[in-house]
Amino acid sequence: MTAILSLKDATLSLDGNAGRVDILHGISLDVEKGRSLALVGPSGSGKSSLLMLMGGLERLSGGTITALGQDLTAMNEDALARFRRASMGIVFQSFHLIPTMTALENVATPLELAGDKDAFAKAEVELETVGLSHRISHYPSQMSGGEQQRVALARAMVVRPQILLADEPTGNLDETNGNAIMELLFELQARDGATLVLVTHSNALASRCDSVIRLRENRIDESQT
Amino acid sequence: MSIALASRFARRELRGGLRGFRIFLACLALGVAAIAAVGTVRASIEAGLAREGAALLGGDAELELTYRFASEQERAWMAQNAEQVSEVADFRSMAVVGDERGLTQVKAVDTFYPLIGEVGLEPALPIALALGEQSVLPGAVMERVLKDRLGLEIGGVFKLGTQEFRLTAVLVDEPDGAGGGFGLGPRIIVLRDALKGSGLLESGTLFSSKYRLRLPENSNLDALSKEADEAFAQSGLRWRDGRNGAPGVAQFVDRLGAFLVLVGLSGLAVGGVGVSAAVNSYLKGKTSVIATLRTLGAERAVIFQTYFIQIGVLSLLGIAIGLALGAAAPLALAPLITERLPIPAAFAIYPKPLFEAAVYGVFTALIFTTWPLSRTENIRAATLFRDAGQSGARLPAVRYIIATAALVAALLALASWFSGTTFLTLWTAGGIMGALVLLVLAAHLIRFVARKIAPWARGRASLRWALGSISGPREEAVSVVLSLGLGLSVLAAVGQIDGNLRGAIARDLPSVAPSYFFVDIQKDQMPSYLERLNNEPAVSRIDSAPMLRGIITQINGKPASEIAGDHWVLEGDRGITYSTELPDNTRLLDGTWWAPDYAGPPLVSFAAEEAEEMNIALGDTVTVNILGRDFTATVSSFREVDFSTAGIGFIMSMNPSALSGAPHSFISTVYATPESEARILRDLSTTFPNITAIRVGDAIERVASVLAGLAAAVSYGAAATLLTGFLVLIGASAAGEQARTFEAAILRTLGATRRSILTSFALRAAILGGCAGAVALGAGILGGWAVSTFIMETSYEVIWSNALTIVLGGILATMLSGLAFAWRPLTVRPAQILRSQE
Repeated sequence: MTAILSLKDATLSLDGNAGRVDILHGISLDVEKGRSLALVGPSGSGKSSLLMLMGGLERLSGGTITALGQDLTAMNEDALARFRRASMGIVFQSFHLIPTMTALENVATPLELAGDKDAFAKAEVELETVGLSHRISHYPSQMSGGEQQRVALARAMVVRPQILLADEPTGNLDETNGNAIMELLFELQARDGATLVLVTHSNALASRCDSVIRLRENRIDESQT
Repeated sequence: MSIALASRFARRELRGGLRGFRIFLACLALGVAAIAAVGTVRASIEAGLAREGAALLGGDAELELTYRFASEQERAWMAQNAEQVSEVADFRSMAVVGDERGLTQVKAVDTFYPLIGEVGLEPALPIALALGEQSVLPGAVMERVLKDRLGLEIGGVFKLGTQEFRLTAVLVDEPDGAGGGFGLGPRIIVLRDALKGSGLLESGTLFSSKYRLRLPENSNLDALSKEADEAFAQSGLRWRDGRNGAPGVAQFVDRLGAFLVLVGLSGLAVGGVGVSAAVNSYLKGKTSVIATLRTLGAERAVIFQTYFIQIGVLSLLGIAIGLALGAAAPLALAPLITERLPIPAAFAIYPKPLFEAAVYGVFTALIFTTWPLSRTENIRAATLFRDAGQSGARLPAVRYIIATAALVAALLALASWFSGTTFLTLWTAGGIMGALVLLVLAAHLIRFVARKIAPWARGRASLRWALGSISGPREEAVSVVLSLGLGLSVLAAVGQIDGNLRGAIARDLPSVAPSYFFVDIQKDQMPSYLERLNNEPAVSRIDSAPMLRGIITQINGKPASEIAGDHWVLEGDRGITYSTELPDNTRLLDGTWWAPDYAGPPLVSFAAEEAEEMNIALGDTVTVNILGRDFTATVSSFREVDFSTAGIGFIMSMNPSALSGAPHSFISTVYATPESEARILRDLSTTFPNITAIRVGDAIERVASVLAGLAAAVSYGAAATLLTGFLVLIGASAAGEQARTFEAAILRTLGATRRSILTSFALRAAILGGCAGAVALGAGILGGWAVSTFIMETSYEVIWSNALTIVLGGILATMLSGLAFAWRPLTVRPAQILRSQE
């Protein structure tokens, strides 16, 4: 199998008020195409930061990271943005919908950025897929948390990404809504054959992934397949 | 492609409404409105002057001479080119009724007057009838102020020189009144023929004669003007025509308007600070949206354009509101303004001033928003995970710094072009930028000081919280000091300059100035005039000198303007004297005075300071046209001439043999005790009815009132700046409200009373307002001192009443805006705030 995401000796340090802080240290891993990987570990262990590195949202302090065969460390901010909109979907714990846009506009945005003329038609279909065809003209503030996360999921998947990154997507939802979102997430991943990297605190969710990496004190503590 | 996409995103964002942009809009609108309103009033006056040009001039064209009437040759030229010519003589004199005397500006006219327009009289009479013979005496009309001063009724009799006149009507509208320039006394109009035998307008008397021409239709004014200049310029004859009927007024309005627009620019600069703060605050609220867009693959250009378009649309809206207000306000106030203006104004909507204001608005918006907008590029997608939004360099990318600098340079170039004075523009811009830098430094200094002295305030909770919040990470101190400081600085500078200037004129001058100027004393009257005054014990000093008036036409055989540019000495005619000896109180700085019996070619002693400014050196020749005759004299010495004491001072003094043959009169200053002034005036004007007395105190009052008007106009401009500053202040207070609410909730949870929290808010506002006021005062004092010392060359002293008002005003304004936003922090229940933060 081919590694779609690959990190070699990845290190992340950030400047904070208290000086330079090591966030991740010596991380090396490969994620294969179409597989799912769960990142677990205690708070502050660096799970979300690792996800950010994979998405090109954060810059490595050392080491290398390649995605779909491209060296993310060699790309500038705009090249990374173009890479993300072509190949990646990202779902956040806090949804991060744009409040001034309707559900439809939120979902259509990545397609519009890519210059897709059918952006709105495709977005409508995607919203139908996540069960929100009746909510397309609603603004985020007019929707429940579960509905907002469905919109966020539709927005992530509408570009048919090869890599789907999800940062505790159920963290802000109750159990029923959380379960529903996870079902949808795995369903859409399977539909498009996307590679999924999921940050979670839930062992149950992690166990549904093909492999699990446990982080502890900024390093990989354990890797299970 | 990216522009279209950015426009779509911007449109969606703007659907959120204008919340958070009210201050932004108000700042821009107010700044633009002030400039548009000043420009519209200026354009209205200019249009009024242009429309009424011929009436203001009293004819299609005018030829003016100084203290002589036109020669036969000149009259022939006028008769050949004009359909009709009207002759007017203008001079100062004394109107006398019994013991009452009033200085007056007499207009002696012929029966054709006025060629254009109508004289407004009360009761309404034709001017010809009013000036005609009334019960044996010639008729006259005068302004109401003089009639009241003399206690005269319609039908009453008064004297000009030795001639009696009967007052037939009150002069309420003089169509050519604004074209004549600054007069020291109210107007009287009489027929010139009626002055024969009055002793006035005798040889050597100071007067000007004006020949108003009614020209045939389709006359070529340019060609006629050129012909008149070529034929008569050397004889001192000056041409004006209806295209610019009141050039002095037009120039004054133009200059004052340009200056007020520049004062308005300082308001726009303050507004720019508010605009910048509003954009910063808006973009802070949009950090997660921008980060989300970055996550979804938006490039930096798309993000920048998205917000640039939004801010651009809002800026255009603010500018449009400003233009509407700026155009509408003068129209609405037109009746009020017209009533107070001594000159005509045609109020309408004029595109040029609105365009000018719009351009200033656009440039200000661009300059003050480019910087915060550029920061959108620094917002990274990782902000969604952690507070990394403003990570990286605080300065924007070099291209934005270059763009901002280029915009500032372009704005300055445009302002120079619009105002027509690069010098004034650069000084104003330098002043604004200098004040802004000073205010930012002062704000940082107060934060530093607050941090340093905070430990001293332990045990005084309210003061410690106030100092803590000033020195804390929020930028409130900078916003407050900057927003209020600039407006207060302009106001303080105007107050200090105006106070000192008026002080110098009204307070200092009378102590060194003479009581009276007497002019038009005939040579044969001088011995008895001096004898009377020498016998008067209340008189401490008498200075007198022969006086002629002439125009400098050439320097070293070349047109004077080629050598001396547009120096004020070349503007119109100047007084010239002659003297055998160097006067007692005069100091020779260079060269030598002529021998008492010198009878060679004419020599002239020139005022040293003016000579240097005019590039005149010893040995140069100066040609002066006096009474139509050229006198060329060699500069033989330079004298120190002090004009600041309002005594006799001549730019040029010649050797006696050069001038004594020319007809002339004498001028004299008399220094006497204030209580004797009226008696001396009565005695002299009864004995010598032809001479004119100018009470220096009256002239000083007149000048002081003109200056007061100017200072008021500038103060209105500064008030607009201050109002904008207050708006910015409100914006800053509003922006800090959320943080203050949270702070208050925590403090109340810890047991603080509302009173102690309110005290802390008030203390914070007072400290910041006091700081803004103190910096403004410093800037004002510096400006006042610089203008007084280097430009006005008077002594300077701090005007403490103005200083105190500025500092107290700063404190009051900051407290008002701060406390207006203290209500919510003090009234909301802490639990409500703390829960929402979780």
